[in-house]
Amino acid sequence: MVNIGKSVIIKGELTGSEDLTIEGQVEGKIELRQNILTIGPNGKITAEIFAKAVVVQGEVKGNVTATEKVDIRDNGSVDGDVAAPRVSIADGAHFRGSIDMQRTGAKPADAKAASESKPVDVKPNAPAVVPVPVGAATPVR
Amino acid sequence: MTPAQAVRGWSELFKRNGRREDPVAPPVAAAAAADALTTSKVLPRFLAALAHQPAPVILDLGPVVGANIAFFGERLSCKIHVEDVFADVERLAQLGDRAGLGACVATRLTQVPATIDGILCWDLFDFLDKPTGQALARKLAGLLRPGGALYGCFGTTPIELHHYTRSFIESADTLRQRPYAATPVRRTVLLTRDIIKMFDGLVVAESVLLKSSTRETLFRRP
Repeated sequence: MVNIGKSVIIKGELTGSEDLTIEGQVEGKIELRQNILTIGPNGKITAEIFAKAVVVQGEVKGNVTATEKVDIRDNGSVDGDVAAPRVSIADGAHFRGSIDMQRTGAKPADAKAASESKPVDVKPNAPAVVPVPVGAATPVR
Repeated sequence: MTPAQAVRGWSELFKRNGRREDPVAPPVAAAAAADALTTSKVLPRFLAALAHQPAPVILDLGPVVGANIAFFGERLSCKIHVEDVFADVERLAQLGDRAGLGACVATRLTQVPATIDGILCWDLFDFLDKPTGQALARKLAGLLRPGGALYGCFGTTPIELHHYTRSFIESADTLRQRPYAATPVRRTVLLTRDIIKMFDGLVVAESVLLKSSTRETLFRRP
């Protein structure tokens, strides 16, 4: 389990094959096709997300695709379209967008083979505010 | 000062300086206690209309309700667009700009015409003035696919509304209704013939007057 601390800001593409918890900010794209992504209460994401399962306790702006489940918890917020076979939204959660629970498996957009997964890696497509290799990131208090 | 007076004094102090009481919002416990179960005769027909579609697309004009999302997901394996128009109604009411609602509603729904299989309006039209309601109804009628269904509830008594209602689908024919605070507004009461006229292009498939004086209606697009 990797944890991105709340002082960390990543701009670019984040991929990997480990479960990941984000308490910081990510802008770009997140791919964890075989793993669980948790957006912590402090997490702020402006990105397209692809994962096996996604748990949202913080803020997400962007589309979320999961092969198993998306779980938007109390105080979690999603502005974007969600696609997953199972979607759970708590009473206090904020959601704006569409929810696609059509059981058609992966969307065309995530056609890339999941077997390409490798340890979590950051590929900045713009100068990173804090160029931190995510594998080494630890919570910053 | 007796101990009871002292306690009362402190509680008064906290009431004034600590948490402020919202005169409109019912306390959480009271709101939960006010949950009411309603039997619906029309909702089962709405669900039956969608069950024929392999992967129906639903437009929900109410606030997002996790239980309903799960219900539809399990039952219909569908796609749901959540467009909380009630939030816009409340936002503009708080700004004192109810007249701006027509423009807001017109731009909010960006779905492609004739792509929606089912629309859940709940009791939204009770909170809209007549011109806004007519414009929205026209827009919704245009969004429905042939064979599509629209579910709405229309109040029949002209009372002051102090709350919106969040409806939880408990089963195909049972709704649990939970009130939540609204800026007070006089309900817009529409005659049945006006409602039918408003949804031009749709036909009434079922219309039931509930004990609560609310008319549940199901429209279908031929």
